[in-house]
Amino acid sequence: MPTRTHQSAAGRVNTRIDNTVRTWMSHIHVDRGIGRMLVLLVIAFALFAVLNPRVFMNPLNLQNIMVSAPEVGILAIAMTLAMLTGGIDLSLVSIANLTAITISTMYTGLVASDPALAESLGGVIVLVGVAVGVLAGLINAFLISTVGITPILATLATMQIFNGIAIVWTGGKTLYGAPQALSAVGKSTVAGVPVLFLLFLVVAIMIGLLVNRTPFGRKTQLQGANPTAARFSGIQSASVLYGTYLTTGLLGGLAGVLFITRNPTASADYGTSYVLLVIVIAVLGGTNPMGGFATVTGVVLATLVLQVVQSGFNAIRLSSYEYSIAQGVILIGVMVFDQLRFRRRSRYVASTQTRNIASMSNVGEDAEEAPDTAGADAVETK
Amino acid sequence: MTLAKRMKSLAPRLIGANNEGVLAVIIVVLVIVMSVLSPSFFTVHTLFSIVRSALVPSILAIAVLLVIISGGIDVSFAAIAIFAAYTTVHLAYTGQFDPGIIGILLFACAIGAVLGLVNGAVIARFRLPTLIVTLATQGIFRGILLVYIGSRYIAQLPDSMAGLSTANLIAIESSRSYLPLLVVPVAVIVLIVAWMLRRTMFGRGIYAIGGDTEAARRAGFPVMRFQIILYMMVGAIAAIGGLIHVILNRNANPQDIVGTELDVIAAVVLGGASIFGGRGSVLGTVLGVVLVQLINNSLLLMGVPTAWQRAAVGILLVVGVGIQALSARRASRRTFVLDTVEA
Repeated sequence: MPTRTHQSAAGRVNTRIDNTVRTWMSHIHVDRGIGRMLVLLVIAFALFAVLNPRVFMNPLNLQNIMVSAPEVGILAIAMTLAMLTGGIDLSLVSIANLTAITISTMYTGLVASDPALAESLGGVIVLVGVAVGVLAGLINAFLISTVGITPILATLATMQIFNGIAIVWTGGKTLYGAPQALSAVGKSTVAGVPVLFLLFLVVAIMIGLLVNRTPFGRKTQLQGANPTAARFSGIQSASVLYGTYLTTGLLGGLAGVLFITRNPTASADYGTSYVLLVIVIAVLGGTNPMGGFATVTGVVLATLVLQVVQSGFNAIRLSSYEYSIAQGVILIGVMVFDQLRFRRRSRYVASTQTRNIASMSNVGEDAEEAPDTAGADAVETK
Repeated sequence: MTLAKRMKSLAPRLIGANNEGVLAVIIVVLVIVMSVLSPSFFTVHTLFSIVRSALVPSILAIAVLLVIISGGIDVSFAAIAIFAAYTTVHLAYTGQFDPGIIGILLFACAIGAVLGLVNGAVIARFRLPTLIVTLATQGIFRGILLVYIGSRYIAQLPDSMAGLSTANLIAIESSRSYLPLLVVPVAVIVLIVAWMLRRTMFGRGIYAIGGDTEAARRAGFPVMRFQIILYMMVGAIAAIGGLIHVILNRNANPQDIVGTELDVIAAVVLGGASIFGGRGSVLGTVLGVVLVQLINNSLLLMGVPTAWQRAAVGILLVVGVGIQALSARRASRRTFVLDTVEA
């Protein structure tokens, strides 16, 4: 931008203020996403606390919310990662079930021959289960990145395949049995806070750091915001997609471990209602389904909001179908709200762009300070 | 024109714009292989039972095809289908009256169109991702149906519907093979939609929107209005699919159909419709449905447990879409090379 050096002082101040204001605006936007969820959380909590305080404010109920939030929350964070690159991962719940089934099968198999060995190998069994999740993620990554299938269809198909394998494996029955150590972790608390919830926070912080503080995170954001621009700026979309879907597979596997930690059973059709729920949480938490924008904090808060709403619906005796209506309405409402706000914002950006171009080509400023007439001519002829 | 040249010009027409020819060849090969493997396969009985099982998926697939051509993807059609059909039967049952098959059809289509309008209005007005919107409306429609309308299985259909369920177009008593009369309305709808897509401005508009929405807008198509009409039409077609399902099963179960979305979408995509919009044909879709039903039927005959069917459809989808994606990638690479040569 050669003309910038020739700008008048007023023009420079103008540009600088403009940039500062726009940076502020972008911060306010993020904060509003998180702030909105905080407000919703408080409102939802207060509403159900007033409607049925005896059931809802019971410490057991509150602990239940904190125990059930992690499995949904980790799946939602995985979904957020996929959406960040402009994709989606519908196979997450199937991956989690496959992991849970692997753990349960291996454990019950070992217990039959040697119970003591089965207990001591608990950690290995869990690792193998998580590895199954990562392998499933690798299959997704291969189909999406190497073969080039759209994420929706690829994961719709793998969801069906993983689910089919799980049905064949279990014969459609529920498996019982999990390493005792897992159940012990599932029941333990630190200062009244369930360990599972603390684990969830650790995972959330790690993924948050991955997205916001690492080159990989920056690349996923660029890839989602504009794949073509990402390609021309030298980002290897293949490695970004592989990294993303391997991570979602890993998180799916972790969610599977949580399934079996909370309840020592595994089946092919556990948590089928989570597919919609997890998308709702991701979008509610401020993730742009078109890609490029997401906050893990928002997703964690959205998870809590929906868990509070669900447990509140239970407390005031509404059915799970009414909860699914509420989910759908909330999802569409938030997307419509975001879309309306996004349109306003894009109009704002468009106007600042015209102003920037105007200031760069010194339109309306002192013409004598613009010796670069060729550039000014080019702008004028456009 | 030499024979070789004529063959060359004939080949693309036989293959078809959306690989319909390839699909037909796969179906023929599969039928031959199955007939060799199991003598009981190549009978009129099998043919009729495959046609019967393909009726509802065909109608639903036609509805999904319209959405996919326009560049979207719909997962709420199954919820709309059962919502419309169950509500109609439920009203007739609780009110103890029978408006006749035409009345039932119109009522169900009206409900389907209203639900479709909800989808269309949200998608067209706010330009939101169709998958997520329809996932949300699927939850809403299903929830409303089960909470406010009814969750009970109704075994007694109105007489006009019950009568249709036993009506056959062709009945061969000796081999107990029956071709239901409902083949006729399904064929009529398939032909009407095929005609609409090829011959009307609305049909061209759907392809244009799917190809490039902005280009369609600038070419003068009223995009928003077309999208809303499209989703209403899809809702009405899905409602007919739901009615046919209820009639064939001779009962109305509000838990039915939901869960078969993937089989239908897989059939449409196998039939050559591009998930990015702008491409797809009715013939290909029907062939895709037939292929999925044929494979389900063959697996059953070969003694493969039904549990594998789910995985089989998933694998079929991966293979079908994978070939499409790889060939699209190769085509784009070819254009790229040509460009550099010319430059």
